[in-house]
Amino acid sequence: MKFVTRLLAAATAACLLLGLGIGQADAQVLDRIMKEKKIRITAQVDSAPFGILDKNNKPTGSEIETARQIAKDLGVELELVQVSGPQRIPALLSDRADLAISSLSITTDRAKTVWFASPHGALSIVIGGAKSVNIKSAADLAGKKIGMTRATLEEQEVPKIAPPGTNIVFFDEHAATQQALLTGQIDAIGCAAFLINDLAKKAPDKGIETKFTVATAFYAVAVKPGNYDLLQWVNTWVFVNKLNGVLAKIYEQNTGVKLVDLPTL
Amino acid sequence: MTYVFQFGIVFDRFGELLEGAWLTVQLAAMALALGMAVALTCAYLRTAGPKPLRMLVVAYVEAVRNTPFLVQLYIVFFSLPQLGVRFEANQAALVAMVVNFGAYATEIVRAGIQSVPVGQIEVGRALGLKRFQIYRLIVLFPAIKAVFPALASQFVLLLLGSSVVAAISAKELTAIANTLQSTTFRAFEVYIVVAAMYLAIAVGFRAFFAAVYWFVFARGRER
Repeated sequence: MKFVTRLLAAATAACLLLGLGIGQADAQVLDRIMKEKKIRITAQVDSAPFGILDKNNKPTGSEIETARQIAKDLGVELELVQVSGPQRIPALLSDRADLAISSLSITTDRAKTVWFASPHGALSIVIGGAKSVNIKSAADLAGKKIGMTRATLEEQEVPKIAPPGTNIVFFDEHAATQQALLTGQIDAIGCAAFLINDLAKKAPDKGIETKFTVATAFYAVAVKPGNYDLLQWVNTWVFVNKLNGVLAKIYEQNTGVKLVDLPTL
Repeated sequence: MTYVFQFGIVFDRFGELLEGAWLTVQLAAMALALGMAVALTCAYLRTAGPKPLRMLVVAYVEAVRNTPFLVQLYIVFFSLPQLGVRFEANQAALVAMVVNFGAYATEIVRAGIQSVPVGQIEVGRALGLKRFQIYRLIVLFPAIKAVFPALASQFVLLLLGSSVVAAISAKELTAIANTLQSTTFRAFEVYIVVAAMYLAIAVGFRAFFAAVYWFVFARGRER
């Protein structure tokens, strides 16, 4: 009996030690990064203007530039871990990446699995249309035909503000929705703000402009739960670079729209 | 398997799906009527018309049969407005469906016409009938009878193919299903129900065709 008790005590002690060891390893990610002189950050290169491949097949875009700036300020080498949209969080949780910086909008659902830093960028959903179309606020949408793409943020947000009598139609791809606007098949489009600038540039004769903002989502750097030290450093980084204008510069250079005021998480 | 089916979400919004199904039925029925008119005219021109018109029909049939329906749809919806011809999404869908079905049906009816024995046409000539009279009174009936099953099959293909008009925002059955799916994330339930609805519509039209065949071609003709 005495032997069994001792064995149990030893086993418990071993487990505790192991557990502590794992906990400590997690809490020292920043130390590890500094020691290895390398940080691994997710790169989603199929979501312009946040992450795309340039003419030489090199990753670029506002989120990629953010990752580069973070590595530079840490004074370490950057390793980009390529992910698709749905892989952004799994890459973090499986320790393939130290940080997820891929326009990950802050939602309460995602916060159940990852920890968000303070937001460093924003994605606005707007209504856009030709100058000749008279839309100034949500109320003017009544009786108009508004097109948007399925399975997007605008699909969730625009119907919430649309008055009765708004004719909302859906397309399967961004390209089709934009084409419908340019050919006059719809009166206005619901889409991300930067797309309007893109459309205005592509078809200058149509006079496409932003009518009003429907909703704004903020995206942030995410870390694996438990990485306090890294999260604290990223929050400090966001604070400093918000004040010195670096965040706004990266955002505006890549998306072509002004960065809105960022709230603090 | 740990997936939990939640058909409740789909049946809560079943009314929307029914509206979509009704539009699908309307589009298909109108495309059938107008497409058959196109086919009967073009098949006549193709077999008995003057040479330039004959060539024109061949060009139309081959152009349509050798290009994707989706591309034809985009041309009607996105390209024609730039030439000043504007159709609403549902009208554009109907136009594309008529053009598409018309071409296939032309080719099927042509085959039926050519299956009519030459002797019957010669009899018509001997009786002093004009060319169009021979077509209408002697050739058409046995020709359509011979290819009726092929026409019915082609129509069902058109009905099922109409699901792609969701791409230009026509609010038919598949479009409603896509929207339902992307807002509820219940892809499995939504598409199973929609597949069953298409099946019901197709079976319904097949029964309609069987009835037409019976009344027009078979009744009282068994010997």
